[in-house]
Amino acid sequence: MAKIELKDVSLTFNIRQQKRVTLKEYLVQGLFRRSSVAVHALVDMNLNIRDGDRVGVIGHNGAGKSTLLKMLAGIYPPTAGTRTVEGSICSLFDISLGFEPEANGWDNITYRAYLQGESPASLKKKIDGIAEFTELGEFLNVPVRHYSAGMLMRLAFSIATAVEPQIMLVDEVLAVGDLAFQKKAQARMKDLMSSARMLVLVAHDFSTIRAMCNRVIWMQHGGVMMDGPTDEVVDAYVQSVTGPTQTPHVGAIATAA
Amino acid sequence: MIQHLTAIWKFRHFLLALVRLDLRLRYRRSILGVGWSLLNPIAMTTVFAVVFVQLFGGNNPKAYIPFLLIGMAVWGFLREGTVQGCRALIGNEAYIRQSPLPYGLYTLRTILGQAIHSGIAFGIGLAVTVACQKDFRAIGILWAVFPAIVLAFLAAWSVATIFAFINVYFQDTQHLLEVGAQIVFYLTPIMYPREVLDRGGIGWMADLNPANLFLELIRTPIVTGEPPTADLYLTVLGITTVSIGLAVGTAAWLQKRVVFHL
Repeated sequence: MAKIELKDVSLTFNIRQQKRVTLKEYLVQGLFRRSSVAVHALVDMNLNIRDGDRVGVIGHNGAGKSTLLKMLAGIYPPTAGTRTVEGSICSLFDISLGFEPEANGWDNITYRAYLQGESPASLKKKIDGIAEFTELGEFLNVPVRHYSAGMLMRLAFSIATAVEPQIMLVDEVLAVGDLAFQKKAQARMKDLMSSARMLVLVAHDFSTIRAMCNRVIWMQHGGVMMDGPTDEVVDAYVQSVTGPTQTPHVGAIATAA
Repeated sequence: MIQHLTAIWKFRHFLLALVRLDLRLRYRRSILGVGWSLLNPIAMTTVFAVVFVQLFGGNNPKAYIPFLLIGMAVWGFLREGTVQGCRALIGNEAYIRQSPLPYGLYTLRTILGQAIHSGIAFGIGLAVTVACQKDFRAIGILWAVFPAIVLAFLAAWSVATIFAFINVYFQDTQHLLEVGAQIVFYLTPIMYPREVLDRGGIGWMADLNPANLFLELIRTPIVTGEPPTADLYLTVLGITTVSIGLAVGTAAWLQKRVVFHL
């Protein structure tokens, strides 16, 4: 049984004007330090996701969607409230992240699979299937620093979905691949979902959301604005953006976004 | 902390695969492969031996060369472990942003690679020592040295972890460490015997210098064939324990915040 439960979760972090300072600067200026800016990325979020839920997360840029995913994945610890996540998690965030650029495709499949908790024995059974799904063929022998964004995405997606996670967290990476791979990826996601697992998907492309999700959360200013069935929430969101008089033509907005 | 270690154990395949990659890349970059890593200290030592045997070696190269080789292997591990290890969090940012793994794993990646690298140098030093001493004293005393090597490993891992966290906040950490290492290199009896400091009346500096204590614990038994004293072992055990404590404290203090600064 997989489970995601957030109780009054808030996430606040401070950002300084400069990301990293030298020790010298710090010692000289430390006495007159400028105050740092506090960012309230998530504010009192309550969320309950059950088995079989396929949740789409929509909202403006900076609404806290990606932060929410990273918090669910355990990368950002909440500053207040409790986060309960049970089940094996697989996250697809920034696709170029977490590859060793100097190593080839095969090796990177190995590293990622180990990172997701595979053992050499269990990977051996899967690695050919993963390689096949990427359709990268000979390119798998090339260091991944020569890969295009689309190829990296193929690699990342193939590995991530091969380990059959209970919870999948996906941050609008599907749009990177070519059309054929997008179709294939959607088909595999549906496959994965059919065995009653959870998906949390952040996307600006509403056709993907409508195709994949049975529940949508609309986030605004780090909180939940609306939570409900896909069509209802997406329509409400689109209306709030385009104005109430227009009848939204969703396809057009999706491509514009 | 136990949780932390079991998590590292759980991801051991990941860790070891990356250590293998690091070593492969390190040795592939040079035409001579692993040979290069052996050649470099040998060339250095030859130069040092020729020049410094007059100054510090009492004109006895058969005693001085083992002293120098083992000393450089130990120092090389402590130095590189700290200086390279401090990049562990910055350098593995991509993984940190992707998966919630324990941070100690990333410093362990550097330290393990460094340990294997220095281990090769140490092995050569040992072989040369046996050849120079024309008996197996140096091998026979290894039982007394082995725990010290484990302690050196733990101490280097801890110190690297502390500086890896600091490096996230202060970008000149590595530079300062390099400067510091240079200073410590001259202050520590690595190339010269400890008596040089004693003669100058500053022998107390060697007693306070952790790098020197590790040298005394690892190098001195190998060159002299005498096991180290229990007192020395206890002191180094104390130093290692303190550094582990500091590393665990630093990690506990910053592990929930450091990701926002990467």
